[in-house]
Amino acid sequence: MGSSGASGNLEGEMEVDAFRRLFPLRFHERHLLESIRPDARPLERARESTVALGAVASADGSAMAKIGHTTMLAAIKMEVMTPSSESPDEGCVAIDFHMPPICSPFVRPGRPAEVAPVIAKQLSDAITSSGMINLKELSLTTGKAAWMAYLDVYCLDADGALFDAALLSAVAAFSHLQIPAVSINEDGRVVTMSREDGDGKLANDPVIKERRKLTLNCILFSLTCILHKKYILADPTAEEESVMETHVTVVLDSSSRLVSLYKPGGPVLAYASAVQDCIALTRHRVKELQKILNEAISDMEVD
Amino acid sequence: MEYVSPEGLRLDGRRPMEMRQIRAEIGAVSNADGSAVFEMGNTKVIAAVYGPREVQNRSQQINDQALVRCEYSMANFSTGDRMRKPKGDRRSTEISLVIRQTMEACILTHLMPRSQIDIFVQVLQADGGTRSACINAATLALADAGIPMRDIVTSCSAGFLNSTPLLDLNYVEDSAGGPDVTVGILTKLDKVTLLQMDSKLPMDIFENVMQLAIEGCKAIANYIREVMLENTKELEYRRGI
Repeated sequence: MGSSGASGNLEGEMEVDAFRRLFPLRFHERHLLESIRPDARPLERARESTVALGAVASADGSAMAKIGHTTMLAAIKMEVMTPSSESPDEGCVAIDFHMPPICSPFVRPGRPAEVAPVIAKQLSDAITSSGMINLKELSLTTGKAAWMAYLDVYCLDADGALFDAALLSAVAAFSHLQIPAVSINEDGRVVTMSREDGDGKLANDPVIKERRKLTLNCILFSLTCILHKKYILADPTAEEESVMETHVTVVLDSSSRLVSLYKPGGPVLAYASAVQDCIALTRHRVKELQKILNEAISDMEVD
Repeated sequence: MEYVSPEGLRLDGRRPMEMRQIRAEIGAVSNADGSAVFEMGNTKVIAAVYGPREVQNRSQQINDQALVRCEYSMANFSTGDRMRKPKGDRRSTEISLVIRQTMEACILTHLMPRSQIDIFVQVLQADGGTRSACINAATLALADAGIPMRDIVTSCSAGFLNSTPLLDLNYVEDSAGGPDVTVGILTKLDKVTLLQMDSKLPMDIFENVMQLAIEGCKAIANYIREVMLENTKELEYRRGI
């Protein structure tokens, strides 16, 4: 069955590429039999990841995260708003995820990616429900003024595991965030102070003197795995995701507590053991990501 | 307000004829057929080119040449205050049209009939001159994608404040209300493809300012040529030539 060039006859690069395009599932399964993937990774290894803080100079906090080729740019802008009456001493965080047409050949102007609002909601839910950010820290004057943090995550290159990269960049941006110094003048209006005139204004009561960082209660990390027959592949590329459709996303915090588990259907039904394996892989990944994030933060501080 | 000090320095310490620092990088987006990041001072722009590929909307297909599409959008965090509507507003639509027509003039579209070339530009940081940075980034991205072009298109802006022609305005100088001339040229052929100006300017001063912008374009073209040569050497090295 199949042409003579299709069943493993590696006569030249062209044959392999054609086989990959025409029979993608068989191409990947052939690799899985040898417990390897097309990019020579073992099944449970994630791609090389990097984090760079301060990618956007004009934002209050920003980070660029890359997992393999998948690139995410997250930036936070702070604005002052009046808090709601139900929670007058809390600020607010608004999270948005965008996939501009540069990231993938399948996203066109006028036809936004289907997966973008899904990831936006997942991100929003994970960050708000985990209590990573203490909203009371964002308050300025109870009932009158509080910070609204707008987090925008842009996908610059989509090559699988979008949620993982987005969460990594969001968490890194929050670790880099410095809340601007403000003062409240007599009419109750909040005025942002620039770095230079921090000492000069005597008439105003400075509410917060210096730029300060947010304390994060816990840091979230995640790993997406693909289930296919009896195999579990960690950190899929876009090609693998399009061929094997069942994926499981596990979000853990830095002390390895389970924050969220997401398996949106898919042809493979997972027994508890498969889910346990995914959680174990995520636990391992959390340690790797923790190291990468700490290195990025200490690099920033050296400057 | 004083935009040029009596010693002849601008607000950011540059001389009137001095351009901001430029930096370009090819191949930033792996998914795209061609991509480039272009920075002019604090303005940072990323361009990705997909094509030539099949036309997505059959009714728009042209039988004897390629269809060129362009979309310009700004990230929410790119400007000082967070933007509410980063694309679809009038300014973005106008700039998309300008970039498309500028690039269409230099792509050899008759070589790729019934196909589509998409140029997407995303502004990551905006500090004046985004239009020019986008055209420069698009040129590099098209070159990276291997799309045949007549020439390198580069663009630069110039203005006239405090009776001095200034090259490469940043956001503060641009919002000063003085004239702003944006020029795009085909460098080797020495032809102007894009020329936009607003505010008022006497004819002889306009010629000076336009000439200054053209000099800026030529300087950018030299830099772009170097970057492309460097990139080609890198590709040759990787191929083992």
